[in-house]
Order: sequence, then C-alpha cells, then structure tokens
Amino acid sequence: MKLSKPADMASVRTIGIPRALLYHRYGVQWTTFFEQLGLTCVLSPETDRAIMDQGTALSIDESCLSSKIFLGHVAALIGNCDAIFIPRIANYGEYRDMCTKFHALPDLTRHAFHDQAPCILDTEVDLTHKRPEKPAFLELGLRLGKTKKETLRAYDAACKAQERDEKQRAKALHVTLKKSSGLRILLVGHPYVLRDDYLGTQPARILTEMGATVLFADDWSRNDARKACRSFSNMIPWMISRELVGAILSMKDKVDGIVLLTAFPCGPDSMINEMIIRRIKDKPILQLTLDAQSGTAGLETRLESFVDILHYKKEGGYGNRS
Amino acid sequence: MATVREKKVAFPRMAHYNVAMKYFIEQGLGATYIMQPEMTRRTLEIGSRYSPDFICAPFKHTLGSLIEALECGANTIVAPGGPCRLAYYGELEQQILTDLGYEFEFLDIAELRYSKPKDYVKLMRKLNPKLSTPKMLAAAAETLRLIQHMDEIEELYHQNMGFEAEDGSFKKAYTQFLHALERATSGSDLRKAYAKAKDTMTHLPVNKPDHPLRVGIIGEYYTVMDSFSNLNLEEKLAKMGTEVHRWMNISNRNIGYNEQNLLAGLGEYSKYVMGPTTVGTLHAAMRYGERHFDGIIHVKSFGCTPEVDAVPAIQTIGQDYKVPLLFLSYDSQTSDTGLNTRLEAFYDMISMRKKTLR
Repeated sequence: MKLSKPADMASVRTIGIPRALLYHRYGVQWTTFFEQLGLTCVLSPETDRAIMDQGTALSIDESCLSSKIFLGHVAALIGNCDAIFIPRIANYGEYRDMCTKFHALPDLTRHAFHDQAPCILDTEVDLTHKRPEKPAFLELGLRLGKTKKETLRAYDAACKAQERDEKQRAKALHVTLKKSSGLRILLVGHPYVLRDDYLGTQPARILTEMGATVLFADDWSRNDARKACRSFSNMIPWMISRELVGAILSMKDKVDGIVLLTAFPCGPDSMINEMIIRRIKDKPILQLTLDAQSGTAGLETRLESFVDILHYKKEGGYGNRS
Repeated sequence: MATVREKKVAFPRMAHYNVAMKYFIEQGLGATYIMQPEMTRRTLEIGSRYSPDFICAPFKHTLGSLIEALECGANTIVAPGGPCRLAYYGELEQQILTDLGYEFEFLDIAELRYSKPKDYVKLMRKLNPKLSTPKMLAAAAETLRLIQHMDEIEELYHQNMGFEAEDGSFKKAYTQFLHALERATSGSDLRKAYAKAKDTMTHLPVNKPDHPLRVGIIGEYYTVMDSFSNLNLEEKLAKMGTEVHRWMNISNRNIGYNEQNLLAGLGEYSKYVMGPTTVGTLHAAMRYGERHFDGIIHVKSFGCTPEVDAVPAIQTIGQDYKVPLLFLSYDSQTSDTGLNTRLEAFYDMISMRKKTLR
C-alpha cells in the first residue's frame, strides 16, 4: 500500500466532527488524535429537534434515523470549520463488520451536500481489504501536512486515551452494578442511539425518574463482550451487534429487565433483536423502536407498563404483592 | 437412522437460477434436489408472517419459499451467504424454521465467508460423502456456463418481447427454454436448449423501430432479478413497447466481476465501495446515461441500506446525463395496481420526451 499522499489538507486548522454515529464510539480517539496534532476540534451541538429536522430533509426517507441525524450534524458544522472528518469504516477484520451505512458515509455526505461542496477529510479502515487503522490515521496526518513521526505519536496517544476511556466506563459500570439497589434495567442499543441526546437519553431519563437504575450495554468491555457473544452465535457479521449481545449475556443475571432500543429501520437490529428475543427467554425484554416523531407520551406509557411488570415479577408474581 | 436417510436438498427461490442449482446438485453432487413451486401470494404471506418487522423483503420471500420447500419434502436446506444482511439470513432462517417445528439439516454458505475453496468441497461432502471431485468440478464449470447462457437468453427476451409480431411468441420460447433446462441431465442437453432458444429468439419476427425506447433497470440484487419480487416489472415495461436492459445478473455481478475496475470507472460519483451492489448499480447507471437511454428505473426492497445510500449518487448521475429516473421501493404490501400506475406515467413521460427531443 502506498502511504505517500500529497498534503492536500495542510492548510486545515479546525476539524469539524459530527456528534453522531461513530463519534459516540470512537470520539475520544478522534478528538485526541487531532488535538495531539495541534488542530482544533469543533464538535456539532447535541442533537435537537432542529438538527433532526434538517437531517431528515437532507436524507432519503428510507435511511435510518441515526444516519438522518448525522446529516443534520454535518449541516450544523458547515461554515464553522475548515474540514469535516468523515471516515469510511468498513470493518475491523473478519466477523467485525460495520453496517454498510458506514461504508457509504463519505460518498453519501458528498452527494447530500452536492451544492455546498463542504471539504471532507476522509480515510478508510477496511481490514479484510488490507486497510488497517494505523496506516489510515498515518495517511490522515500526512494529508494534514504533519510528519510521520508526529502522526504516529498522536495516533498512539489517541489509542491510549480511547482505551483509558473504555476502561473507566467499564469500571464505573461495575461499581453501579455492585452498589445499586432496586430495579435495574439494561438499555441495549448502538452507541449512537443510546448516547444521542434526542434518542437514547429520553428512555434513560424516564426510567431513572421512575426510580430504576439504568445500565448501558455499550459500557461493558468490548473485548469481553465479543468473547461472550461466541456462545450465542458465531455467525453475526456486525461487530457492534456482537458486543451488545455479549453484554446482554454477561449482565442479564444481574438486571431485572432489558430494553432494546432501535432507530427505525436499522438493518442489523432488524435481525439481531429478533434473534435475541428468540434465544434469550429468561429475562423480560422490551423492544422499542424510535422514529422521528416528537413527544414522549407513547414512550412513557410503554416504559411505565414495563417497569410495572418488572416490579410485580420482582415481588414474586401478581398474587404476592403486598 | 437420521443420518443415512436420503438427502433431499432445497435452495430458496431466486429468479430462475434454481434450475442451475438443481443441475449442479443433481449432476455434480449426486443428491436429490427438491424444486419448490414458483412463488405465489401465499409464499409471501407465510414468509412475512414469521419474519421480523422491518427486515428487507428478500428475507420474507426466501423464508416463505423455504417453508414451501420443506412442505414439498425437502430435508436439507442450503442457504446462500452474502456481504450485507444476507450474511445473517441463514442463522435467523434456521432459528425461525426450527421454532416452527420443522426438522431439517441446514447448510449455511455464509459460514464459508472467509474460507478457502477446500472448505466448499467439505461442505459439499456433507450433501454426498461419496462425492467425486472431478465430476463435481466438471458440473460446476457446466453450471457457470449455464448461468451465463441463462442471463444471455433473458437479456434477449427482455429486449425484444415488447416488439414481438405475434403476441406471446417470446414468452413461449423463453418458457420452453426454462423447462428444457429443468429436464437437462447433461452438458449437451444444456447447450442444445441454449442453442435452440437463441436461434428461436433471434429469428422470431419483431416490429422494432430504429430507435426504440430504452430503459435501464438497476438496483438491489435480489429484488431486481426476481420477477416475482418486483411484480414482473421488466415484462410489464417491455410490453408497453420498450427495450429493457439490466446489467445486474449473476454473470455480471458474480462470475465476471471486478469491483476495483468498476469503482475506478465511477470517478467522482463514488470514491469508495458504498455497499455490496452499489458499484454495479452506479456503473450500470453511468453506462445507460452515456448511451442516452430514455429512462432509468432503480429497484430495491424497502430499507435496503446499501441501495438507499446509492440513491443520492444516482440522482446526480440522472442530472448530469439528463436521464429521467424512477425509484421503486418494494415491500410485502406492494400492489400490482400501484406499480402499473407509476409505470404508465413514467412510460408516457419518457415517450413524450423522446418525441419532443427528436
């Protein structure tokens, strides 16, 4: 593979990062990398109604809600930075695929903003086609006019920061698991659904207000989760789905109920959630599909009835309530 | 005793390719192939009933056709793999069918996604332990040629049936061809059937104008090829008096496919591979644009992520080459009438446009 790319982005000083999709998974790595290179990162604001509406207007209506939100975030960044970072992340090796949405993201964004033609800083991670992560970041650094040494040092720091963050989150999760009392509910969903201010934080807030302790499946150690998933299925192609299934298997005995959160119409979830419901029979599971509707009344009703069921169950069934 | 019972192998229905599968399984592997009936409304109904909510339509079709194969007495199912959601079709279908109470053996080609050719032979040995490798290889080569012949005849069919002098003459020749393939037991049978069909179709009288309306069909692998899934789109369109072209078929997408070459030809339209079929889709759209086609129709099942992502690029191609576009999205509720209305409107528009431009 050729590494020498012209430094076509050497004049870039501020990098815009959309606060959507894989930012919620690799955000620490990305921001640390660019900051270590001496650049400024500009994050788009938290998702709100305006961002979602704008993203929806820019998208093909059959796209998943999370990708619509992504385009809204890109729109919010245009004009506020020199270049927008949109990598093509296809997979991290065999059976560690990303949804094809992430394969298309740079091209998709370019076509969606055909008229404004924003400057897009892209790179490619595709291990099954011999494009690992390290050379991808090296290429980024070189394109930004940095030296090989600087870039590798920044990449190193970025990976360490990401690892530290993941460890901290896993540790905090274990503390919560140990200390909390009362009803515990596991929220399961792609990080860009769970962590989005407009999607996953709503059900989390509603559940907390009802007095339940909310645990997030994506906090569980990613490596452990992938290992745990093997007892469930060897065939799941998507890495994040594997981690979520692994997290469910590892935590299901410690929680009272599981809520599967899905952004409509998520491809991987359409199959994996069905499999989870068919194969995990010993825990109550609620499947919630989020779409672009406003208002949380429907969501509240469903969560309330689920929590009621869990309370009854915990107290030994319908007959035993004091 | 279950292990010694005769293997009756079935494969989900997909376009007309099941006859090729039948030939390979029977002549190459020496196992019995169960051909389920062609898909009907019922196939889709039972398939949808047991499928998850917003799964892509091909899952519902294939699940329905697998249930029908099991009802026909199949005891071994071979499921295809693929690079998108297809990679997980197998495991989920197996789970759903097992939960429904069916007993069967399941061979998932998706398991071999990262394997070497040797492992494919191992999988075939599960169908017939006494498999003769040379015989299998000979049949495999024959099957690949058969698929290419089928695609060639299908192209001839769709490009000429709209102008036939005698109503139904092309349909008759095409049906006879498919029936002959289903009965074939040797390579010479296959070649004879192909030669006959080609000869008939090139000599059937047609009233084709010098510049007929030409429409290119592009889109998602399964729905664009399977005429039951796309509600007979190509025949309907051809019958209105157009020449229907479609790049997507197994010959082009699988047998003679070079993704990197095609991608390089896409230039600004697509820098990266957006999804398993998008490179082919965009390549075909560009070719139709360059050849001044009168219209392009994009076909996909509802929510097919790779093809949805290709839509903005197709729109750009349509603008750049000034080709009218029609986007069709299929799911299990799509009705014939709705499609007819849209096709008629599209046909009227492109034919008026052609008259104005000339």
